[in-house]
Amino acid sequence: MPGEKSRTHGGALLVSELRVLFRRRRTWAMLAALASIPVLMAVVVRLSAEPPGPGEGPPFLDQVTNNGMFVAVTALVLTTPLFLPLTVAVVSGDAIAGEASLGTLRYLLVAPAGRVRLLVVKYASAVAFCLAASGTVLLTGWAIGAALFGTGEATLLSGDTIGVGDAVVRSLLVGAHVTICMLGLAAVGLFISTLTDAGVGAMAAVAVLTIVAQVLGQLDQLAWLHPWLFTHHWLAFADLLREPIVWTSFMQNALLQAAYVAFFGALAYGRFSTKDVLS
Amino acid sequence: MARTWSRWLPAAVVPLVIAGSVAFAAQAGAEDLPERSPGDVLALLADRGHQPFSGEFEQTSDVGLPQLPGGVEVPGGDGDAAAVTSALEALTSDHTGRVFVGEEHQARLQVFDTFGERDVIVNGSDVWVYESAENAAAHTTLPADAGDHATTGEQLTPDAIADRVVEAAVPTTELSVREDVEVAGRAAYDLVLTPRTDATLVGEVAIAVDGETGQPLQVTVTARGEQAPAFRVAYTLLDLTAPDADLFAFTPPAGADVEEVSPPAEALQGDETRSPDHEPTVIGTGWESVAIIEAGERALADQPLLTQLTSAVDGGRLLSTDLVNVLIADDGRVLVGAVPLERLQAAAGSE
Amino acid sequence: MSATAPAAEQTEATSTELAIETSGLTKKFGQQVAVNGIDLAVPRGAVFGFLGPNGSGKTTTIRVILGLAAATSGSMRVLGRGVPAGLDDALPRVGALIEGPAFYPFLSGADNLRRLDAADRHANPATRDDRVAAALDRVGLAHAARKKARAYSLGMKQRLGIAAALLTPRELLVLDEPTNGLDPQGTREVRSLIRSVAAEGTTVFVSSHLLAEVEQICTHAAIMSVGSLVAQGSLADLRGSGQTVVRVTTPDGEGAVAQLRHLGLDAASVAPPRGAGRDLDVAAVEAPLSGDDPAPEDIVAALVAAGVRVRGFDVEQPSLEDRFVALTGEGFDVAR
Repeated sequence: MPGEKSRTHGGALLVSELRVLFRRRRTWAMLAALASIPVLMAVVVRLSAEPPGPGEGPPFLDQVTNNGMFVAVTALVLTTPLFLPLTVAVVSGDAIAGEASLGTLRYLLVAPAGRVRLLVVKYASAVAFCLAASGTVLLTGWAIGAALFGTGEATLLSGDTIGVGDAVVRSLLVGAHVTICMLGLAAVGLFISTLTDAGVGAMAAVAVLTIVAQVLGQLDQLAWLHPWLFTHHWLAFADLLREPIVWTSFMQNALLQAAYVAFFGALAYGRFSTKDVLS
Repeated sequence: MARTWSRWLPAAVVPLVIAGSVAFAAQAGAEDLPERSPGDVLALLADRGHQPFSGEFEQTSDVGLPQLPGGVEVPGGDGDAAAVTSALEALTSDHTGRVFVGEEHQARLQVFDTFGERDVIVNGSDVWVYESAENAAAHTTLPADAGDHATTGEQLTPDAIADRVVEAAVPTTELSVREDVEVAGRAAYDLVLTPRTDATLVGEVAIAVDGETGQPLQVTVTARGEQAPAFRVAYTLLDLTAPDADLFAFTPPAGADVEEVSPPAEALQGDETRSPDHEPTVIGTGWESVAIIEAGERALADQPLLTQLTSAVDGGRLLSTDLVNVLIADDGRVLVGAVPLERLQAAAGSE
Repeated sequence: MSATAPAAEQTEATSTELAIETSGLTKKFGQQVAVNGIDLAVPRGAVFGFLGPNGSGKTTTIRVILGLAAATSGSMRVLGRGVPAGLDDALPRVGALIEGPAFYPFLSGADNLRRLDAADRHANPATRDDRVAAALDRVGLAHAARKKARAYSLGMKQRLGIAAALLTPRELLVLDEPTNGLDPQGTREVRSLIRSVAAEGTTVFVSSHLLAEVEQICTHAAIMSVGSLVAQGSLADLRGSGQTVVRVTTPDGEGAVAQLRHLGLDAASVAPPRGAGRDLDVAAVEAPLSGDDPAPEDIVAALVAAGVRVRGFDVEQPSLEDRFVALTGEGFDVAR
């Protein structure tokens, strides 16, 4: 028996965490809300008498009628500043604080889950949600776009024309960029989640922070700060729709998000590993 | 509880590592170039051969004007008013973009907007201009003797600007070479042009000249008495391999408005202030030159936007920036120069 | 971890007889002292009652022992492992119910247990489903395994919490107020569950503010009052240090007092017992009895011989409650 006990089953907690995440009605409600955005957009464009002209409506909307796949890209433009981070704020802000307010945190810890392991698993599941969220927008966009407008050639920002295969690759890249954009936010959310026992408070704080960061990003007086805001490159995926692709902002964003993950991960570790769990 | 503080150690170390690697990246690779005299650097700049490359550049301006909201439409703003606002926009806003240079007479300039792009593509005698926000393209066929591409496309790039500055300013300028700089990961000479005259707002112009190829990598313009450059354009990334030839073969996308423009109308290709109807007169030389644009049909000073930006002075209204003064004279003429107001007023009087 | 293991190994040999051992354990929240330098010693194999009124620091002590909160000062060992360094090794052998059960309301009872079992990285996933079923069966929840936890009654949740503590064979079971919210039948079931777990050799550490519960099932007990440990030991030891009292019910109250005093007892009239309340002519007289006093039967004889009419005579052994009141100056909230 003691020999048996020394064996560890590390992945089980992650599997269990993902099950809990994706068995919650809340998770599905958020994914459904995200999916509704490309659907609504595509249906409205389809039903309108005149197709949108260049420069009308959100970016790339005029492209939608040529290539349905651009529904996905336009939907990502619409969801990235607010809806998507909001859902990520809910999941990441709830990560530790939610367990604390349910009271299950103490039981996980005496199981024992291990505080570092629990923190890592919680972040991993938040990452999985980011992927699921942007993937939902992307896939729904593709599906509804292809169904209503078909697929065809697409025009890049540089004026060059690309085929369907290339358009799929480009929109996948945009999805990847948006997912990476959410990773830093998820780390911030995880840290805030270790500060409180009130899940709703943590979610609200993360959501507010997202908006504050974007507002700060609009103030020219703070230009020195802008490259350090986690929201700085959120809409930079336009660079993936130029010919040839501009990788600079994609790479800078990946580095920036990695820095956020490292810093707020370290803060979350400092806080959570020394925290008195009294809930 | 001596253990507690050590849990916070990573949170203290991570920012240090990040700050360290940022500082290291900023420092790295400033290799030493052999000493060269200003004349040598100028020669290096002038004698550079045709070099295919692709590069990303960024342009920042801080000339002491409020940033104009993007896409401001000047009411009734045709002709001169539009020209002035577009010049203002170029002066006050920041741009990033890319430039590709292939074979001789093959170039492509891209200026990036958040969700848009403006492209100028030169391929032999074909010139395309594409604007994604409008999904509009314009095509011109250049006459065979149309000269090099610099006049048609790349006004915003360090290359073009450096050439123009040198051409215009060298006779009245003191040249010196500062400590080597690093631009886009390449070591460069920093050639400094200091005006010999006091009758200009320009304190100095610095051109970073690639130590190896002689290509200008950065141009900064600093106003007199200022420390930070008022205007800077620099490559952030430079790749000295020939870009894909497909980049220069432009076909306007389906559904785009395509306009065929006849060759002399260079107005479309960027420099709108040089519209053929109002070819400016230039008074003075070098740093002290003042360009005078004849009166248009409408009184510019009455445009609300311009009224807001300008202040009343003797003889008209003044738009004052750290680098450039613009006097909209009472008779409707527009005087532009990198000179103090008095000189503009004098020029307005002398005509 | 590997550096501390040999040390833990060594000391384990010297303290195997103690399942929980604390020394000078103190927990402060800011200026407020919640637990004040307590020295707990819970022998292995014991059913240990951790007594004290609500707010006396019981739950805080349990949280500190299980590593949920850090001690301000003092040291402790659980199953021979130092806390918090050796917790990873000790906790898989500890089942716990802390300050009431807590579950994911949107998961079924069985899924809740699976989740907690997955959190224990030493638990074997291959046997998980069987162990979950067995634990549910043991607390009588097999029929509700697939019901969502939000639909559970308070008593069912309490039993589910105990099931979670029994997912793997444990050496120590820490139960914080395990009968809270249970009806009398449920309380009996929990008591018999604790007895059966203890019979398997598991040490059981039960905190409670319900004296009767502790008296019925525990072999040992400790009493907390305002953050301090005021007594601990085997139940017999705790009782033994209290006073035996003789009580006389009689219509001749004054005579009884006089006669008992004559016998050298410190007698006094007390309120008549409840049952005799209507009998206006009956008085109750009590006197503590110590070792060198006459035997109770001799006292009765002496009373009768002196013409005191004895209607009732009792020798009351000290109860834990009396002990508790004597130590803390408070009574138990029996109603709860």
